[in-house]
Amino acid sequence: MSVLAFAHTNVLIQGITGAAARHHTKNMLEYGTRIVAGVRPGLGGERVERIPVYDSVEEACRNHPVDASVLFIPAPRVKDAALEALQNGIGLLVIHAEHVPLHDAMEVIQQARQRGATVIGPNTPGMISPPERAKLGFVPSAYFQEGWVGVASRSGTLTYELVFRLTRAGLGQSTVIGVGGDRIVGLRFAQALELFEKDPGTRAVLLIGEIGGSMEEEAGELVSRGGVKKPVFAYLAGHTAPEGQRVGHAGAIIDRSTGTIESKIRALKEAGVLVGRTMEEVVSMMKTSLAN
Amino acid sequence: MRLFEYEAKEIFSRNGIPVPRSGYAETKEEVVEAAKRMNGPVVLKPQTITKARGKAGLVLFANNPLEAAECFARLQGRTHNGEKVRGVLVEEKISVLAEFFLAVTVDYTNAVPVLLSSPWGGVEVEVSASKRPETIKQISLSSLQSHLERHASELGSFLSKYISEVEPDVLKEQLQFLLGKMFHVFKSYDCELVEINPLGLRHDGTLVALDGLMVIDDEARFRHPELVKPRAQSEEEFSREEEFRKRGWTYIPMEGEIGILSSGAGITMAILDLIHFGGGRPANFLDTAQMDRKGIYDAFKIFHNNPNTKVLLVNIFAGLNRCDELSLGITDYLRDFNPPFPIVVRMIGNRDNEGRTILQQAGIKPLESLEEAVTRAIEEARCVS
Repeated sequence: MSVLAFAHTNVLIQGITGAAARHHTKNMLEYGTRIVAGVRPGLGGERVERIPVYDSVEEACRNHPVDASVLFIPAPRVKDAALEALQNGIGLLVIHAEHVPLHDAMEVIQQARQRGATVIGPNTPGMISPPERAKLGFVPSAYFQEGWVGVASRSGTLTYELVFRLTRAGLGQSTVIGVGGDRIVGLRFAQALELFEKDPGTRAVLLIGEIGGSMEEEAGELVSRGGVKKPVFAYLAGHTAPEGQRVGHAGAIIDRSTGTIESKIRALKEAGVLVGRTMEEVVSMMKTSLAN
Repeated sequence: MRLFEYEAKEIFSRNGIPVPRSGYAETKEEVVEAAKRMNGPVVLKPQTITKARGKAGLVLFANNPLEAAECFARLQGRTHNGEKVRGVLVEEKISVLAEFFLAVTVDYTNAVPVLLSSPWGGVEVEVSASKRPETIKQISLSSLQSHLERHASELGSFLSKYISEVEPDVLKEQLQFLLGKMFHVFKSYDCELVEINPLGLRHDGTLVALDGLMVIDDEARFRHPELVKPRAQSEEEFSREEEFRKRGWTYIPMEGEIGILSSGAGITMAILDLIHFGGGRPANFLDTAQMDRKGIYDAFKIFHNNPNTKVLLVNIFAGLNRCDELSLGITDYLRDFNPPFPIVVRMIGNRDNEGRTILQQAGIKPLESLEEAVTRAIEEARCVS
């Protein structure tokens, strides 16, 4: 089993005719993802990898069942494309684009919340469920292996690096979700944990976090409330990163107790999450503690 | 992108937020001219991006244009936390009954705007936030289309407990007016923050923004090209930053010896950690977002031109791109330049065998383990220094 994406998930690709989108559509299909349609205004009627292209999401949805959409859309146009998908009732959106304006992301996430839809990203490499052979995005599938570890990560390259190590250590994955590296993202760590908790195919979870924001603290709070019974591990990057700039007094007031590596590690450890100081350490902790 | 106070106030004024009369000046003549126009006592505030000017003694008062010119002479050429004072805001001095704090910013956790207010304005607001958190009102809004009337009323009741100088109803009415304008600015300028601190309450019960701060989301710069310009940085720094931004690069200079070229913020931070844990010191890092052959060539030149780089650690994990392509970028550089530092390469991923062959022919033996590469870089740095 897995979470969010399954073998039977019908996937739409928005912006399918771009070079990167074509390339990754091919990769996703080869991996086993069920892609049913693509959208590119003005190029309706074309085909990409034998997948029919439509002028609008509405038209694609009229001709195919669509459960999820992967958006290969440049940042300035993400808002309109995402809202179009939400208005057509698509329940899962994967937004790759980096540099999506803050206010656009807020609006998309608020709309999704009102409609009960899930947004992965922005600024995510996507997600992959090896047991279901479903990949929504561009994570390099060669390093991923079927198994029962759920992974949620804020960083793309760090995900590849750690999953590569998990796979080498014999720890395959149920689902790997890049939740996105932006300050505002749709699905957050705590929600990913809740999904993994409910998934019988997931037996342990690895969170890959970093300095800034409050996602790790929220995850810690959920675990300490007893919301997650499965073992949770974490690796956080940025022990020694130069401090970022705060915005005015308001930033100082709001961020007073969260966002630092210390506050995150404290929140996670107090909740019983096993935190590795380095990538090697967290993988060996997982290997040892999950062996029996 | 943090705006100067005078820029924020110009935007406030254009959008109906009351501000004191003022003039921006960069020369003595302009200062005198502005002070004459104010026709009364003025405040001179150096326009810096770095805040806490008052605490640094950089906010000066003058009774007439002559005094204003003298004050300006004292500010000219000064620096504030390393930032050079270029211009000043010459502003009419306004007497107020009370000063408080009001801001609209982003609640990143809930992805909604949030309203912040405190009856204690000025520099005291952070102190009161930590010592007396009950004096900070924080209202997360459910959406961008909010019921400001209700929030203004809630805020008015809260502030009235501390501010006795004005009728609660008058305050609520004033706040409702002001919040509407602030929200409009917040939305239409893609703000991360609109802050008025202090917000002055005048004798007639009206509110006036005595200071103004706007931080505009860098990702939305393309929607506000008129505001993109150098502020705390020099022209050269600014154009370099703009060029890097266009390429999607993040470059951070630091104090140590080891240069880091990597792709992705998370992994770059992880490498910084490994270097520190191993007893080394990073000199700078460049996160290239996505590496390609040309990018790696150009990136090498950045390190080449930085004398702090004693060793260069390159991390390549080719999941989407290819090791052979990236290796060619390195050999392109080696063909054109003689590197002033040893190069340690960690490389795995697509076509790493091909990449390894290319690099070995150029005299570089790439490592597969990141930990090993970091250790090697730290050792090399010790040998060099």
